[in-house]
Amino acid sequence: MAFEEYRPMMERCSNCLGCKWIPFDKIKSQRFGENCPSIGYYNFNTYAVRGRFQLGLALLTKDAELSETVTKAIHGCTTCGACDVSCKITRYNLEPYEYNLALKAHAVEQGKLRPKQKEIIESLAKEKTMIVGKTRSSRTAWADGLGLVDMTKGKADVMFFAGCKASYDEKLQKVARASVKVLQGAGVKVGFLAGSEMCCAVRAEQMGFRDEFEKNARANIKLFADAGVKTIVTPCSDCYQAFKRRYAALGLQVQVYHVVEYIEKLIKEGALKLKTPVPLTVTYHDPCHLGRLGEPYVPWKGGERKILNQVHIWEPRRPRYNGSKGVYDAPRNVLKSIPGLKLVEMERIREYSWCCGAGGGCSETDTELSRWTASERVTEANATGAEAIATACPWCEANFRGTPDENGKTIEVFDIVELVERAL
Amino acid sequence: MALSREIYGALEAIVGARNISEDSGVLETYRCAAAQSSAHYGPYDHKTPRPQAVLLPGSTEEVQGIVRICNRHSVKFKASSTFWSAMGFIDDDNAIQLDMRRMRSIEIDEKNMYAIIEPYAIGAVVQAEAMKVGLTMNMPGVGCSSSPLASSAGWVGFGPTSISMGCASENMLGSEWVLASGELIKTGSLGAGSGWFCGEGPGPSTRGVLRGFQGSTGSLGVCTRMAIRLHPWPGPTCIPSRGTVPAYKAELPDNFKCYTLCFKDWDDYAKGIALIHENDVLFLGHRQFNMFGRDLKTAMLKILTDPDGQLCDIPALVADPELKKVNDDMKIDIQVIIAGTTKRDAEYKDKALDKILELSGGWKSEFMLDKEMVDYVLMYMIRMGHKNLNYVYCGGYEGNFGLSSNLFVSARVMEEASALKRKWETETNYIAATGGDSDMGSICVIGGGGPTGWEFFTHFDSYDKPSIKGTADFFNDTQRWMLEKGLGLDMGHWNQDARHEDGHAFTQEEHDAIFSKAAQPLITAYQYKIRDIVNPKHLCGSYYRTLTPSKIGL
Repeated sequence: MAFEEYRPMMERCSNCLGCKWIPFDKIKSQRFGENCPSIGYYNFNTYAVRGRFQLGLALLTKDAELSETVTKAIHGCTTCGACDVSCKITRYNLEPYEYNLALKAHAVEQGKLRPKQKEIIESLAKEKTMIVGKTRSSRTAWADGLGLVDMTKGKADVMFFAGCKASYDEKLQKVARASVKVLQGAGVKVGFLAGSEMCCAVRAEQMGFRDEFEKNARANIKLFADAGVKTIVTPCSDCYQAFKRRYAALGLQVQVYHVVEYIEKLIKEGALKLKTPVPLTVTYHDPCHLGRLGEPYVPWKGGERKILNQVHIWEPRRPRYNGSKGVYDAPRNVLKSIPGLKLVEMERIREYSWCCGAGGGCSETDTELSRWTASERVTEANATGAEAIATACPWCEANFRGTPDENGKTIEVFDIVELVERAL
Repeated sequence: MALSREIYGALEAIVGARNISEDSGVLETYRCAAAQSSAHYGPYDHKTPRPQAVLLPGSTEEVQGIVRICNRHSVKFKASSTFWSAMGFIDDDNAIQLDMRRMRSIEIDEKNMYAIIEPYAIGAVVQAEAMKVGLTMNMPGVGCSSSPLASSAGWVGFGPTSISMGCASENMLGSEWVLASGELIKTGSLGAGSGWFCGEGPGPSTRGVLRGFQGSTGSLGVCTRMAIRLHPWPGPTCIPSRGTVPAYKAELPDNFKCYTLCFKDWDDYAKGIALIHENDVLFLGHRQFNMFGRDLKTAMLKILTDPDGQLCDIPALVADPELKKVNDDMKIDIQVIIAGTTKRDAEYKDKALDKILELSGGWKSEFMLDKEMVDYVLMYMIRMGHKNLNYVYCGGYEGNFGLSSNLFVSARVMEEASALKRKWETETNYIAATGGDSDMGSICVIGGGGPTGWEFFTHFDSYDKPSIKGTADFFNDTQRWMLEKGLGLDMGHWNQDARHEDGHAFTQEEHDAIFSKAAQPLITAYQYKIRDIVNPKHLCGSYYRTLTPSKIGL
C-alpha cells in the first residue's frame, strides 16, 4: 500500500491516547503501565503512533519535512506493535503497526536513513545477512557436527531455520545447537538448507527497506519450494513472524513452527520427556514477533464500505490482527513442564508485553533507545523476584544480556530451549 | 515566526536541549485537528495553530521559569497533560506548548485518603495505585486515559462515580499552581502550611476562583500538583482482568452487583433516578452503552464482548429478532453498580434498588445479567478504559445537545431531542444513523445528585469533508432547538466563543462585544478582574471568558 493511501487512517486517528499505554484494563501499576518504548524514551508526542499519524499527514501536506529530527523519530520505533494492540481495543479501522512500517518505508524512499542502516542493507545484499561483518560462507558454522540433513539433497521431517542472530552470534549459537539436539533427541529428523538460505530479511522491512525484504523473501520462498520444505522450525521470533505472516502474504505455503511450539507438540505427544529438575524461578518475556505480531496470515481481498451513513466496515469481513491469536501459551506450557522450575509473571505480558528494544533495527540504529527499552524490561523482571528471564528469541536474549535495570542489577537470561535441554 | 534565539535559548536552558523542540515535524504533532478530537466548537476541517516550540518541563520550578520568560517576552503558552481535547492546545501563532508528560508522580496518603498527583498521572494509574491500599478515585467521565488533575483543575469533571463521590471540583483538595503571571500559589490547606487535606481553608480559598464550576481550561496558569480525594474501594487490590483482547472482563466478588436498569418512559426513569439519588445505594451510575445509539447498542455489546466481533457484524445483529426485543427492552436504560462494603451491605442495597424499581415501574435487563456481560460491564465501567469507543464507528465524534440540567427537565425533552437527531440521520447522510437517541452521561453532577450531565454522541467521518461540514450544520440545528427550548448552549458549541473556526483565540474586543450583551455580564466582568491579577498579560488564550468591566460601566 502506498504511503498516500494511509491518509484516511491519518485523519481518522482521533487522538484518544490509548496508543501510549498497555490496554487500560490491564494496568496494575503506574511503573509498568506504558507500552511504547519510543515515546517512553523520547517523550514527545511525535514518537507515539498518534504523533506518527499526524507527522505523516504533515509530510503529505508539506507542513513538515524529513528533517534529521523527524528522520530520527520515524526510525526510532522498535515496530513492536504494542500500539497496534492498544489501539484496536476500541478501533476497527486503524492499522498502527502497518502504518509505522509504511512511514519508515516512506522515509527510506526519500533517502532518509539512520547511521548504520546503509551498511546493514549492503551486508544483506552482499552476504545475505544483516549482521554486519559476517559472511554467507560462515552461516552454518554453528551446525558443524550436528548431523543435519542437507535438504537441497535429501529429505527431513522439518527444515530448521536458525536465523542470522543464532547463526552468527557466538554467544547465541548454543540456542540453535540446543534446539537441534532437543528435536533430534525426540526422534525428529532435522534438516537445513546448508547455507543456501539467506536472511529472512524481516528486519529490513522493520527498518523501512520493503524492496530488499521482498526480494529476499521471494528468493527464500523459491529455495524452500525447490527443497520440498513442508515444515519450518525456527528458534527466532523475527524469522517466525517473517514466515508465518509476512512470507505467507507473498505466497509461502508451509507449516511454520517456533521451536517452543514444536517442543510443546513433542511433549504432548510423549516424544519428549523432561525429567531433570531445573530449580530456578524464571519470568517469561513474550517476544513481540512471536506474541502479538506472530498471528498467522489470513488472505483477504476487499475494501472499505460505509453502512448506516458513516459507519466503516470491511467487505468482505477482514481478518483482524490484534494480538489475540499470538503464541503465548506454548512457551509457558513448556516452561511449566520443566520439573523444579517456577514461572512468575511480569505485569506486562502476552499481547501487552513490553518490547526488548531490539526490534525495528533499533539495536543497531538507535542503541540509546534500545538499551533503555531493555533496561526497563529487566527492571520489570527483577521486580518479580525471578532469578532469570526466559525468552524465545535470540534478539531479545542478546538485548537483555548484561543489561542493568534501573538499580544497576542485571539478570540471567535463557532461551527456553536451553532450559529444556537442561531438563532432558 | 520562530522564537528569537534569545528566547529559545532561555527556554532551552530551563528544560535542557532534550526537552524542547522547534522542529516543524515535531510541532505538527502538537496541533489539534478539530475534526479528530472532541473540541466543543466544531467540528471543523482545520488544525489549531502550530506552536513556536514544544517544551517538556520536569518540575514546578521549570514551569515557573518558562512562564516567567513568557511574561517577559509576551509569548503565549498553554499546558496540556494528555492532549485529549482542543482545550489543551494553544490558540495563537505566537505561543508555545507545554507538554506535561514528564510530571507524573503519584503519592498516596492512605491514612488521610488522598493522592497528591502531577499532571500526567492519568486516571488508570492513579486508580491502580489507590486500589493497592483499598481506595479508589472519582474517574473523570472522559475516561481513564485522561488526567484527573486536568479534569479537576480545568474542566467540568463529572462521571460515572459522581453519584457516590461527587464531581471533580468536590474531589479537588490542596493544590499548587504556577499562575500565568509566574507567581506560585498554594491553595486550600496547603497554602496555610497545613498539608493537602482541604480544597478550601485554612489557607487561600481559591478553588472557586481558579476552578469554579466549569474549570478554567488552563487559562489561568499551570496546575502542577494537586491532592484529590480517594474513596473506599471494597474490591481486590488489583482489578482481576481476564478474557481475550479486546473483550476484557473483571470478575469481582459478590459484594459487587452490576445491572442495567430499564424504564418504560422518561417519566418513570426520572422518578427512578430521583429515588436512587435520595437513597444512596449506588457506587456508580451512568447511561453508557446508549452512546452507540438506541438501535445499535445491543449489537455493539455483542460485538465488543466477542473477541472476533467486527463492525461488519452490525447488520446481521441488528436484524436478529431476539436482539431487537432486547433493544426495545433497553430503550430507556442506565448502567449501575453496587459496591457493598460487605456482602450483606450489597444485599441490602440490592433490595433497596429492587424497591426503587418497584416504585418507579423499572426493571433489570435480563440480557445484561449474563455473567459474561456483567463482567464486561464491571471492567468497562470501573476502569473506564474503553471510553475511546466514542470513535469506533467512523473516527470522529462530538457530544451535542448537552442536557446538563435538572433531571425532570432533561428527561422530558429526551424524545424530542432524539427525534431531531433521527431526522438528520434519515434525511441526510452526514452522521452515523444509530437510532436517534444516542444520549450518554452521568445521572448527577454535584453532590452525588441533582442535575444530569448528558450528551448525545454524534458520530461522523473525520476524513470525509461533507460529513464534517454536515455535522457542524446539524449542531447548528440542535443549537437552534436548545435555545428555543431555553436549554442553553448546545454542547457542540460550548467553546464557540473561546476559539474561532480557524482555531485562533477571540480577542478581548470580540469577547467584549459578545459578553456585554449577555444576560449576566457581571460574571465575565468579574472574571476579567481575576484574570487581570493572575494573568495580567493575557497569555493563556480565550477559554476563560472575560468582559472589560468598563464596557458595562463598572
